[in-house]
Amino acid sequence: MNKDKKGLGAWTLILLVIIYMGFLIIAPIFALIKGAFQDSFDAFWQSLTSTAMLDSLWLSLKIALLVVFIQAIFGSLIAWVLVRQDFPGKSILNNLIDIPFALSPVVVGYMLLLLFGRNGFFYPVLDALNIKIAFAVPGMFLATLFVSLPFMIREMIPVIINLDRQQEYAAATLGANKWISFWRIIFPQMKSAFIYGISLTLARAFGEFGAVLVIGGGVQGRTETATLFIFRSIEERQNIEAYTASILLGAFSVLIVSLADSFKNAQKKKQKMGSIEVRR
Amino acid sequence: MKNKKLFCLPILIIALLLVSCSSKTRDQAADEITLILGAYTTPREAYSQIIPLFQEYWLEKTGQTVTFEESYLGSGAQSRAVVEGFEADVVALSLEADVNRIQEAGLITHDWKQGEYKGIVTTSVVSFAVREGNPKNIQDWIDLTQPGLEILTPNPNTSGGAMWNILALYGAALRGQIEGIPAEDPQASSEFLCQVLSNVSVMDKAARDSILNFEMGIGDLAITYENEVLVGRQTGKTYELVIPTSTILIENPIAVVDASVDKHSTREVAEAFVEFVYTTQAQEIYAQHGLRVVNPEVAAASSDMYPKVADLFTVDFFSGWENIMIDIFGEEGVFTQAILQVQGGE
Amino acid sequence: MEHSLVQEKQKTGFSEWMLRLPSILYLVMMIVIPLIVIIQDGFREGISGLVHQITLPIAWHAILLTLWTSALMTIINALMGLVTAYVLVRYDFPGKRILNAIIDLPLSIPTLVTGVMLVMLYGPQQALGSFLNESLGLQIIFAPPGIVLALLFISFPFVVRTVQPVLEDLDRSQEDAANTLGANSWTTFRKVVLPALILPTLSGGLLSFSRAVGEFGAVVIVAGNIPLKTQTAAVYVLGAVESENRLGASAVSLLLIAMSLFVLMTANIIEKRWGAHQ
Repeated sequence: MNKDKKGLGAWTLILLVIIYMGFLIIAPIFALIKGAFQDSFDAFWQSLTSTAMLDSLWLSLKIALLVVFIQAIFGSLIAWVLVRQDFPGKSILNNLIDIPFALSPVVVGYMLLLLFGRNGFFYPVLDALNIKIAFAVPGMFLATLFVSLPFMIREMIPVIINLDRQQEYAAATLGANKWISFWRIIFPQMKSAFIYGISLTLARAFGEFGAVLVIGGGVQGRTETATLFIFRSIEERQNIEAYTASILLGAFSVLIVSLADSFKNAQKKKQKMGSIEVRR
Repeated sequence: MKNKKLFCLPILIIALLLVSCSSKTRDQAADEITLILGAYTTPREAYSQIIPLFQEYWLEKTGQTVTFEESYLGSGAQSRAVVEGFEADVVALSLEADVNRIQEAGLITHDWKQGEYKGIVTTSVVSFAVREGNPKNIQDWIDLTQPGLEILTPNPNTSGGAMWNILALYGAALRGQIEGIPAEDPQASSEFLCQVLSNVSVMDKAARDSILNFEMGIGDLAITYENEVLVGRQTGKTYELVIPTSTILIENPIAVVDASVDKHSTREVAEAFVEFVYTTQAQEIYAQHGLRVVNPEVAAASSDMYPKVADLFTVDFFSGWENIMIDIFGEEGVFTQAILQVQGGE
Repeated sequence: MEHSLVQEKQKTGFSEWMLRLPSILYLVMMIVIPLIVIIQDGFREGISGLVHQITLPIAWHAILLTLWTSALMTIINALMGLVTAYVLVRYDFPGKRILNAIIDLPLSIPTLVTGVMLVMLYGPQQALGSFLNESLGLQIIFAPPGIVLALLFISFPFVVRTVQPVLEDLDRSQEDAANTLGANSWTTFRKVVLPALILPTLSGGLLSFSRAVGEFGAVVIVAGNIPLKTQTAAVYVLGAVESENRLGASAVSLLLIAMSLFVLMTANIIEKRWGAHQ
């Protein structure tokens, strides 16, 4: 695409954007990194070995991976159903999907308390079965599941809409069953959106704070995610640990999303060049 | 067919995660036991030392290894959590009302206020943290109405510490201990409360958050526990402690939660822990961490760290927590009205 | 580009229901049931009870604070998002690729970390913070500007990423025609380009508004939590939950949910109309 010639007006705009993004996004990130190293490089290395921090990162990872697994399956499923099927109540469901995106995490945690807390709706049954949800990992898992719901679905829907139906028909004509048709023809087209959706879900799950704060209880070593650990570290005046964990958390999420994004762009380029993937 | 194999790998990983994720059944074998402690934020450092001592003591006494799971939240928040399902075996909170709440929920069924110390394990007093050198020359409550002064105090909604602060202020006024304010004049005392509140610049979630903000450079003074100031100073902070002439005695309770210990079969070790905190050993640790203690010998031994307060009163001055929750912090309470009056003008 | 969700109807056979049933069940379990529970709790004392909780001065102020800070942020975001998208699409300059990548950062950075970063940068003991405080009397942390800043950070990608694709696909021929006819670039922009961008900007803006209204993690660190001054609705709900004011928590939560839903549905309608125009 031809780019515009750049006169004074153009450069003012460019500078404006650079300054804005510099102070809004880049400056805080630098401040954080500077904060982590403010005592000494050694202090930073020390903080990396804190068991509490590593435990919390591990818990966050476990919860996030499980969440991603569920959302990958159900998210794709729901996206498929919403695009390819029609039924009464469909548009209501479609609107519902966006709720977790806008809902305050504290409200999410509170809703779960209403369901699973001691006075909650499901408590009697669960207590009888000795299953702990509130103030235990399952509750935090559910909270994370809720808040990350829309990402996969919203990523997959446009891709499913744009699927090449001709190939599906051709395959059906040639006798392929739905399963083969899905794996060989449909899924390859969804690959990059699928992976990008997973990365967004993972990043969101990793960063969940408000809901797990309400439903989690913050027990060190048991129900403390990375975000809760950061929160606690600040309270305990362990600032270096807080900043280190923040950097790790942030960097990891950013990395995942960037990788998925590059993958998506690479796929786009491939498609633009006209290559179609039919068989893997 | 490659697809199927690749698909199997994530499933395997997830299965492994699920297995490791599920709550392991606690090994309630004779030699291992877990005790869950739900406490407020202030004594965090103290418990980090007391707990290992208790673990040693218990191991020697019974041969049983006790692992602790600790949670530290604002007193009200912790109390709430226990009521909502957090199965703490022992609660150590900032105020009696927070333990009462747990009792009212039916989770504490014994009279926890029985006993020599009436269920109170430590005490502290409401005081001020001021900048090094006390540049604003804060000596007493009346100085808090200095124009332009920026005060930090936590939010009573979420912080037990905040309630103590308000009670100390209001109480000192009602007792005629503040110059210019006649004793037993609720109107004048409320006025004073309003004056001080109008100088409040940040009301954070809990006492700890409040002093951390102060450390960050916010505000000229923080109304807080004497304990928070002392602990902060122990970590090298250079702010100073000022104790007003009249202030309230903050009494911190500790109690066994019957519902939890019966469910977890941890009653013996829980009750032992609650006894242990009164031993000279434990009380000395509290004293080292800025808390006034109830054990008379340790109290006497640490009296230079903890000066006598000229006019020290307790919640009894207000006729108990039930009345306080309605008269002062209720929807029509003194504090709520004051806040509305102060901020309403914005 | 097809925006409609209705494609050719498949016969509702067994395999369709095999897919449909789990989907519906999942959504019902995850979203509908929690919603029902909180609606039930909020209306526990009838509509008057709910209204009473919402109109309590402290709650009401928290709601208003949330609304105006989110609105202010949305306006700034819409403006800067539009400019950023324009600059990225129409110009080439050194560092453009990096800038493009940075835009998505707020999406992946946990909101709590955002709050921590902002305090690190603007806290009164930091160089920038004390400078702003002393020379300009501007307080960022523990004051509304901090809230707006935090919201700006987390919502930044939304407008940019909604406007960008539209701008990229824009047909340049109209603009070229306008230029040939003698219009200067500002007029061309105003009359040819801008109209096409209004709907995506609006859509992105609404998205960022609905996101901002519920924001907790960044705001709780940065905002200071003073009732009637710097306490947002989300933080108020936390306080209500923690102080046993369950009705208050449910009531304000319901209001937040209703507001978000309303904004989201409006955004959806806009998207449909905009899709229809193409």
